[in-house]
Amino acid sequence: MNAKTVDPHSLAMAQRPALPPRETQLKILYYMKVVRELENRIERKLYRQGKIVGGVYVGRGQEAIAVGSCIDLRSDDVVCPSHRDMGAFLIRGMSLRTILAQYMGKKTGATKGKDSNMHMGSLEHNLIAFISMLGDNVPVAAGIGLSFKMRGQDRVVVCSFGDGATSRGDWHEGLNMASVLKCPVIFICNNNQYAYSTPLERQMAVENVADRAPAYGMPGEIVDGNDVLAVWDASRRAIERARGGHGPSLVECKTFRMTGHSAHDDAGYVPAELFEYWETRDPIRRLERTLVQQNMLSDAGIAEMQQGIHTEIDEAIAIAEQDPYPEPEDCLRDVYFEKE
Amino acid sequence: MALTTYVEAIRQGIAEEMERDDNVFVLGEDVGIYGGAFKVTTGLMEKFGETRVIDTPISESAIVGAAIGAAMMGLRPIAEMQFADFISCAFDQITNFAAKCRYRWGAGIPIVVRAPSGGGIHGGPFHSQNPEMHFVHTPGLKVVCPSTAYDAKGLLKAAIRDPDPVIYFEHKYLYRRIKEELPSDDFIVPIGKAALRRAGSDMSIITYGAMVYVALDAAKELEKDGIDVEVLDLRSLLPFDREAVLETVKKTNKVILLHEDTRTGGFAGELAALISEEAFDYLDGPIRRITAPDTPVPFSPPMEEFFLPKISDVLRVARELRAY
Amino acid sequence: MAETKVIMPQMGESIFEGTLTKWLKKPGDKVERDEALFEISTDKVDSEIPSPVAGILQEVLVKEGQTVQINTVVAIIGDGSSAPSAKAAPEKSEPAAEKPQDAPAPKASAPAPAPPAPAAPTAEETGGRPTSPLVRRIAKEHGIDLATLAGKGTGIEGRVTKNDILKVVETGGAKKPAAPAPSPIAFSGEVERVPMTAMRKSIAEHMMASRGTSAHVTTFFEVDCSRIVAGREKLKAEFEHSGVKLTITPFFVQAAVRALRKFPIVNASIDGDSIVYKRDINVGIAVSLDGGLIVPVVKNAAEKNLLGLAHAINDLGERARTKKLSPDEVKDGTFTITNPGIYGALTGTPIINQPQVAIMGMGGIKKRAVVIDDAIAIRSMIVLSLSFDHRLIDGAVADQFMADIQKQLENWQG
Repeated sequence: MNAKTVDPHSLAMAQRPALPPRETQLKILYYMKVVRELENRIERKLYRQGKIVGGVYVGRGQEAIAVGSCIDLRSDDVVCPSHRDMGAFLIRGMSLRTILAQYMGKKTGATKGKDSNMHMGSLEHNLIAFISMLGDNVPVAAGIGLSFKMRGQDRVVVCSFGDGATSRGDWHEGLNMASVLKCPVIFICNNNQYAYSTPLERQMAVENVADRAPAYGMPGEIVDGNDVLAVWDASRRAIERARGGHGPSLVECKTFRMTGHSAHDDAGYVPAELFEYWETRDPIRRLERTLVQQNMLSDAGIAEMQQGIHTEIDEAIAIAEQDPYPEPEDCLRDVYFEKE
Repeated sequence: MALTTYVEAIRQGIAEEMERDDNVFVLGEDVGIYGGAFKVTTGLMEKFGETRVIDTPISESAIVGAAIGAAMMGLRPIAEMQFADFISCAFDQITNFAAKCRYRWGAGIPIVVRAPSGGGIHGGPFHSQNPEMHFVHTPGLKVVCPSTAYDAKGLLKAAIRDPDPVIYFEHKYLYRRIKEELPSDDFIVPIGKAALRRAGSDMSIITYGAMVYVALDAAKELEKDGIDVEVLDLRSLLPFDREAVLETVKKTNKVILLHEDTRTGGFAGELAALISEEAFDYLDGPIRRITAPDTPVPFSPPMEEFFLPKISDVLRVARELRAY
Repeated sequence: MAETKVIMPQMGESIFEGTLTKWLKKPGDKVERDEALFEISTDKVDSEIPSPVAGILQEVLVKEGQTVQINTVVAIIGDGSSAPSAKAAPEKSEPAAEKPQDAPAPKASAPAPAPPAPAAPTAEETGGRPTSPLVRRIAKEHGIDLATLAGKGTGIEGRVTKNDILKVVETGGAKKPAAPAPSPIAFSGEVERVPMTAMRKSIAEHMMASRGTSAHVTTFFEVDCSRIVAGREKLKAEFEHSGVKLTITPFFVQAAVRALRKFPIVNASIDGDSIVYKRDINVGIAVSLDGGLIVPVVKNAAEKNLLGLAHAINDLGERARTKKLSPDEVKDGTFTITNPGIYGALTGTPIINQPQVAIMGMGGIKKRAVVIDDAIAIRSMIVLSLSFDHRLIDGAVADQFMADIQKQLENWQG
């Protein structure tokens, strides 16, 4: 699948997509690899060792989307991620230990044990915690963008969601609102083609999520969600558009969910051929091959990066495992503003 | 200062806060150019500009969602629901997003959602509801129901300045029927404090919203029967003034709980439980409730009149309670 | 290296058990951390489970094909030094499902019944309607027997209302505590011998000893209580707010304490040829119990204000009646106050509480006609008596002491 634009009215741009500098590409690879290793550990090890509390949702095979779209954001831009966007959390500065502690239900987790798995947020890092009602983050993102506009700031907000979320009323209301009010939002659709056990054809009557963009008066673009450099380029243009005051855009990243809906789901309803096909299009291996071909990184360099990531994660797990659980009475705290 | 109506008091509250703090802004359907369906926001767009008085599409969920997002970034949005009845369209954003952000990840959401509520205007089922209990039942929210022009202005200011999400139910029946002199200086009414509208010794009526006037009118009548009624106006439902409730019960030992909302799951049940738990030894008679029946709000006048609690209901129950 | 318990994990929020389908290692095998150790099958998924630690698989506790609850220990990994435990049955940790465990012996009684409500008069007793909680409370506080008012109230079906009971309180009806009816004796002959209780023996000894030790003299003073009765009315509500029921006793205690400060000899005791003056004023308040009495002591009474005294007196009295006093609380008194007037007596001649040298008795407060400025007025009057030890205290001192108390009470201002 080649990157192709759906809306002929989108900004005229170079026919050949731009490429990020080598330094950025290495950063991109690093983050994708951290996400892959972290989620493997959480889903395939810690969870099965009984060390994780509650559910686990990973974005295996989809690492390129959060990383490609968020890597070049400014620190004062805002990100509204969804549950398969682990890369966004790491890029914005959330630590491995905080994330692992979160999964383990520890007091040192991002929500101090108040909420589970990917429901993390931090205003300090301009990272907005989503809720289980997927699609609710879309109007919120519109409001965040609205605040930038009102204050004359050139900040932008990246709002991510899956294919399933686009069926919800809030998604449509939010896109409409963002468009009518011309809010600086980049809507990223992580179309991994399955919402739990529901395949695309049972989720929507249109072929592409991006087909809906014109309905809301915004440009829509489709990219190969497993080609991180294509995701990076499409996001860059959408970010520029938003920052320039031209309003929101929708970037649909086609990818595939290389895991069950959650750790307890073996996705037996997905035809095996699909897994096999998409395995060959693994986004991390693709970038590694490209970097090696371009002489930007050697095999040894990749191995070294991997080893470093292993160590980082080992250390973070060791700390998180020792962290305490919250006090039972902590349940009563912070329902309302509490004076110090 | 001239007599100020309830609706004018709300408008003043909004305007003064927008003046005081650049972060305060208004969004909702028909609030800008039209000045609001009830003309609450008349003149604000002219004064503060389109940027701060925003006409939105018909999208209650997105209106509240956008308010939440803006509040996260430090703004102070006042989101208007054209009728309180439509607040159900934004139920998810209010109860699952706004109410839980601070608890889950320490992000306060200082939004105000204004909702014209209440019946008596021949509005029928979708223009007359009192949906406060859905939100009283949601920890993380605050809920207020002013009954006077003073409280309307003071509570609105308090709500705007509050660091947590506040659902502000303004009773549409009172908009132009209530007026009083308001102080010219800045004042707020603290959220969570009741107001004693009438001191008495024989029995207490605890109420809020438009029913405050039904209680006061009934109290005047009951004087002739030699029944001295105390009327406590709750003003806030979440949090509510526990101490004032218990104090009035301990004083008069007989209590009537009065609200326009329907009976089952209404606030009176909550109060009755509290009184029984904490003031049992002070009761000289059963706790009585006067509420609307458990039906949607009917439209045709004879039915709506039957539905809404009225003075004759209060007289009847008060006399029964007195004789007990 | 400590032993590590390997558990059956929870693969999904609604899953509470799993079947161990295959062991990939056997006891004695070396295993790496995260290396696949066994396979499981649940309703939702089949999965390979990695080892949580590196070590030697010491013991396998769950067989292939066995279904166990989540968190059940399925294996032990150690350093190979300890032998497998002799346990054959799998060790169970807290099962998640609600399975009846070896129930701890069911409690002998049913779940503790709610503390019995204060004797609530039944509908019969009160005639038609049960009394309201408020009326019952007021009646209890004032020692009014609701049965005497049964069905005579102004409420529905003769219900006694708040106003009804308050009227009774105001007119001073039935204020005396019901005197406990003495229990009848079962005679098995002309006489019936019953051994004394320990308390009775102790009282008998103490009374005789006291009579034998002190030179008992008693003086009597008639005091106009109108001021303090009014004062009590005024302060009642305020004290109630602080959770303290204000009786008339604290006023007398306060007056006595102030007088004792002025006349320290009345607060002293005798030791051979020495007078032992006491720095602290610890006032004992005699409390009547079933078959006897006890004297709990308000320590350092001089440091307490009226509210503090009222609180202490109530608390000690309550605990005296419910037998919850500590030994510390019934000793080291320096002065005692007793209340012979409680059952209506005009006054009394109390016996001194050794080793003290004086004891004050309070008669009943009654409205009487008295002469003031050559006119007759109705006043609440009380007769106070002071029994004192004439070895140490002369009549003049005793009378001056009492006169001071009288002056304080008759001029009470708050």
